[in-house]
Amino acid sequence: MELLAVFSPLAGFLIAFLFGRQVGDKGAQFVTCAGVIVAAIASVVLFSQVNLADAPYSRVLSEWIVAGDFVANWGLRIDQLSVVMMCVVNVVSACVHIYSIGYMSHDEHKARFFAYLSLFTFAMLMLVSADNLIQLFFGWEGVGLTSYLLIGFWNHRHSANAAANKAFVVNRVGDFGFVLGIFSIFLLFDSVQFETIFELAPQMAGVQLEFLGITGPALTIIGLLLFVGAVAKSAQLGLHTWLPDAMEGPTPVSALIHAATMVTAGVFLVARFSPLYEYAPEALMVICVAGGLTAFVAATIGMTQFDIKRVIAYSTMSQLGYMFFALGVSAYGAAMFHLVTHAFFKALLFLGAGSVIHAMSDEQDMRRMGGIWKHVPATYVMMWVGALALAGMPFFAGFYSKDIVLEAAWADHTWFGMFAFWMGIAAAFMTAFYSWRLILMTFHGRQRADEKVMAHIHESPNVMLMPLVVLAVGSIMAGSAFYGGFVGSPSDEVVMRDGQAYVSAWNKEHFWGESLHVLPQNDTVEAAHHVPLWVKALPVVVGLFGIFCAYVFYLWREGLPERLAGALRPVHQLFYRKWYFDELYDLLFVRGSWSLGLVFSKKGDGGIDRFGPDGFALVTWKIGALLRRMQTGYVFHYALVMMIGLIGIVSWLVIRSGGVVAP
Amino acid sequence: MQGEFEFSAWVPALPEIFLALASMALLVAGAFIGNKGTRVVCYAALWSIAVTALILIGRDWGRSLVPGGMFVMDSFAGLTKLMILAGLFAVVAMSIRYLHQEQINRFEFPVLVMFAGLGMMLMVSANDMLSLYVALELQSLALYVLAAFHRDTAYSAEAGIKYFVLGAISSGMLLFGISLIYGFAGSTNFDMIAHRLEDMEAIRLPILVGLVFVLVGLAFKISAVPFHMWTPDVYQGAPTAVTTLFALVPKVAAMALLIRVLFGPFAAMAPDWGQIVTLLAVASMIVGAFAALGQENIKRLMAFSSISHMGYALIGVIVADEGGVGSVMLYLLIYMVMTAGVFAVILSMRRDNLAVESIGDLAGLARTRPFVAFAMAALLFSMAGVPPLAGFFGKFFIFVEAVDAGYYVLAVLGVLTSVVAAYYYLRIVKVMFFDESAEPFDPNKSLSGRAVLFVAALFVLTFIAWPQPVISIAYDASKALFIQ
Amino acid sequence: MAPADMLIEYLPILVFLAVAGGIAVLMVAASLIVGKRNPDPDKLAAYECGFDAFSDARSKFDVRFYLVAILFIIFDLEIAFLFPWAISLGEIGLFGFCSMMVFLGVLTVGFIYEWKKGALDWE
Repeated sequence: MELLAVFSPLAGFLIAFLFGRQVGDKGAQFVTCAGVIVAAIASVVLFSQVNLADAPYSRVLSEWIVAGDFVANWGLRIDQLSVVMMCVVNVVSACVHIYSIGYMSHDEHKARFFAYLSLFTFAMLMLVSADNLIQLFFGWEGVGLTSYLLIGFWNHRHSANAAANKAFVVNRVGDFGFVLGIFSIFLLFDSVQFETIFELAPQMAGVQLEFLGITGPALTIIGLLLFVGAVAKSAQLGLHTWLPDAMEGPTPVSALIHAATMVTAGVFLVARFSPLYEYAPEALMVICVAGGLTAFVAATIGMTQFDIKRVIAYSTMSQLGYMFFALGVSAYGAAMFHLVTHAFFKALLFLGAGSVIHAMSDEQDMRRMGGIWKHVPATYVMMWVGALALAGMPFFAGFYSKDIVLEAAWADHTWFGMFAFWMGIAAAFMTAFYSWRLILMTFHGRQRADEKVMAHIHESPNVMLMPLVVLAVGSIMAGSAFYGGFVGSPSDEVVMRDGQAYVSAWNKEHFWGESLHVLPQNDTVEAAHHVPLWVKALPVVVGLFGIFCAYVFYLWREGLPERLAGALRPVHQLFYRKWYFDELYDLLFVRGSWSLGLVFSKKGDGGIDRFGPDGFALVTWKIGALLRRMQTGYVFHYALVMMIGLIGIVSWLVIRSGGVVAP
Repeated sequence: MQGEFEFSAWVPALPEIFLALASMALLVAGAFIGNKGTRVVCYAALWSIAVTALILIGRDWGRSLVPGGMFVMDSFAGLTKLMILAGLFAVVAMSIRYLHQEQINRFEFPVLVMFAGLGMMLMVSANDMLSLYVALELQSLALYVLAAFHRDTAYSAEAGIKYFVLGAISSGMLLFGISLIYGFAGSTNFDMIAHRLEDMEAIRLPILVGLVFVLVGLAFKISAVPFHMWTPDVYQGAPTAVTTLFALVPKVAAMALLIRVLFGPFAAMAPDWGQIVTLLAVASMIVGAFAALGQENIKRLMAFSSISHMGYALIGVIVADEGGVGSVMLYLLIYMVMTAGVFAVILSMRRDNLAVESIGDLAGLARTRPFVAFAMAALLFSMAGVPPLAGFFGKFFIFVEAVDAGYYVLAVLGVLTSVVAAYYYLRIVKVMFFDESAEPFDPNKSLSGRAVLFVAALFVLTFIAWPQPVISIAYDASKALFIQ
Repeated sequence: MAPADMLIEYLPILVFLAVAGGIAVLMVAASLIVGKRNPDPDKLAAYECGFDAFSDARSKFDVRFYLVAILFIIFDLEIAFLFPWAISLGEIGLFGFCSMMVFLGVLTVGFIYEWKKGALDWE
């Protein structure tokens, strides 16, 4: 079953990629979709076998590399955490695959597109089901690669190529940290197997490690290095600049990779390493602060953008911030919970946005939309569901997960927990605001698009709407259905049956088993169930207020946003320009290295090149020419060389042995 | 020696006996059918090779000797023979169409290949200086004829003559070395020599001189520098199918024989021969890397490439322990696969029904034949040792063994020369992908050629996914040499 | 025996070489110095039974001679092996008999081949 869940996307990829021409576009679409759907069904079955029955297992497929002490296997670690991720990945991926049949119907390279999508799915599954760091890294790089390929899928667009390169380069920074983390783990634990690492982690709590001349607690250093990898992959503040640009890719790609799955790999990584992070409180603190800041900053930017996909992209970044500060306060279950619900409603929003874009003849600027809700009723409804879930309105998925995240942050009772909590509340307000800003600007108000676009406007075909329905059901149900399992407290889940009270198995302890490790004193999820009422209610209240503001600004008083932007010009500019991150990096790194490069390329020709590369090349070439000249083609020359070689060796041996020794 | 003839005692040599009978039968059959039966003889040869391999696989690979102690069968020989047979199979399969195209479809070709293969199989099982020599000569004589197989062209004839004359010289040296060793050790049997060398101080130097002569003879076969001079000319001049054979199989057999000689009778002298082999390895790596730089002919380039590959493999020999030999076997295995793939491409380089073999002819292959260009690029990257392809692991294990044994200088030198070598491999890739398209090649109708290319490319690309079985096979085989 | 001692034994040879070389040089030098030289074209002409040299000393002849010679050598050797084998057949037993049969069998295969290829026909 686990093989089916992990390897059927690979099979789909291989067929579509290698034999794309033979099976044709239809065939490629069919095999890849079939592969992913099979995987999705298999992972749901696994979910019932593993999570509901609390029966995690791992399975070694084969030895991979054995070199000395270093052992790495191809293995699948099928525990609760990875199965949850597999379900999310496969279900969303299946939806996106089917959706793409409609969305990409005008594209010329369908087989390639579907092959990449399946390859991505496989890499992501490798990542989540890895039982050692090397395999995890393999998946990590695999998703990075496919992300690069898919962002730049429309490679005739210059901006797509630039965005793909940017994503690749920024992620490289993170990967560097991640690799260093792997190295230091191997240094400390002598193993890359999760099993061993987690078992030994408590003993390593006091060990010191020297890194870059700084001696510090080993686990904290490792935790921070791994987090650097997570920051890049999950677009947290600092290394987030690639994510908005990545929207250059086709919309289904944005939905799958840059909303639901790949960007959550960082969250997964930290959750996977919870047994290690629990002994590195300083690292958790950094994660928490970074997450809180990201949630806030991304939300502020999201309020001011006009590109419909960029708004959702910043919203993704902001929600990832939520997950990270939940991790930072040891509420791993809550973070995973938010990850799952977010995957549903964010994929829904993206695919809905894709449907809008599709309807509007590839228009992405919200200023040129508006008033189209009657033309695309189904999409409109779907977007409402997604927005309600995102804003955390009661009984939608986002409500449960966002609340538990915020409550856990409050219940941590530390300064960084509080910081994250208030950042999160502010972000919750802004989330609701920009969600309705998006809906109102897109669907309501005046029709700002030109005649030609309006003439072509059409509801998307069923093949695109069907996945939306699946995701919408998820966005509505996922919260209430999984609340008990992901974060429910054992003591709350007392059920009465046959007149007796006993604890239901549907609680977080039972659900996660050993896959998440939380020290008793850090169990903020448990504590979150006992917070004051105002903490529980506040997110909903600010959310409602945010929606109200959006209505005021964008429907009832149309001129207000401009006037407000004018009045608060510096702040608006700061938000609109994305806090000047791109400009700052441009100034610091890009220009710097560029001018350094210019200096070398202008002045370097004389010195560096002549004695460096060119010099070496010339010498190499000359040696080559000399040796070539020795191949004269005359047999006697060849024989002579052989003789000289023979005599040389014999004489050398004889001389070295100190002259002739008589027999 | 006297006494009853017992067939069961000869069972360890069963694959060789079968191959010998089959090739003689094919020779006679071919003589009766004539050249119009070349294709039939080729298919029969393929079957014989396959059956030989099956017999070999079915045999127990434990160490066993035949009466007289001239022939030894163990897992080291078993693996090497399988590699040899696989190489022969690929060469014959790819040649069928080539022989026809070049109008040299004479039935002697497959028969000669089989005889050469028989000689090589006997070589790797040699347990006596005499059987070593006879096997080596059987192999060499067949190869001399093959090099000149296209006797109507001056190049091929020249290649044959050069190879023959220089080969005769090296044979003479080998024989002289054997006689020296026999004179001082009193036996030609490997086990006896090893026994005699246990107390060797008195005869160390003369034996060593004899060993140098033997080594020279073998170094000629693996074309280690400075005994490599024949290689470029012969590779270029010989028909491409024969060059494929040269590059694939005799190298492996001769390297295995070298290992058997050095680690069998002369294991006790490891520090002494280690220095000689070091010299050969260093010179081979350097010459192989540098001399190939300006080559325009791809066959000639592959000649230098094979020289440098043999240099790397020799590093593993110098390490002189189980791991070292294991890494050599692994290297040879990977080398064979990569080379087979590259030659499958070279064999398909035909324009207007004429073989072309300059690197410039590959220009723009990525546009005219994207799949072939992609596979070729993968193979070349692998040969250059770019991770994560198979060729990287070959070099990686060699260097790891060298570093473990403290041969840092060799490892560093190996890395540096492979950087130089990377240049000429990557140059081909550049020509294929970025140069203006030359005229497209004739369509490649050879199914076996495409199959070999596909398998080879698949191997180098997916090796990283499941390397352990291959690594274990190579390392396990090497253990046989160290259990006495 | 120390290396130096062993080399001492070769001293006479060294002396012999020196004396031989010396005498040779002496004789050539003496004829150069003492001899009377008075060259004219006839004296410098080739001494070849009175004829001028008219063709290359190395001439080609038919490759078939080689072929026959090589084929002859193989079967000549076969006979050379057969005599001692026949004498000692009683001692080497069945093993010896089989070995020679294998040898003869291989040669017979070769013989059939050369016959069919027409190597034995002169025209």
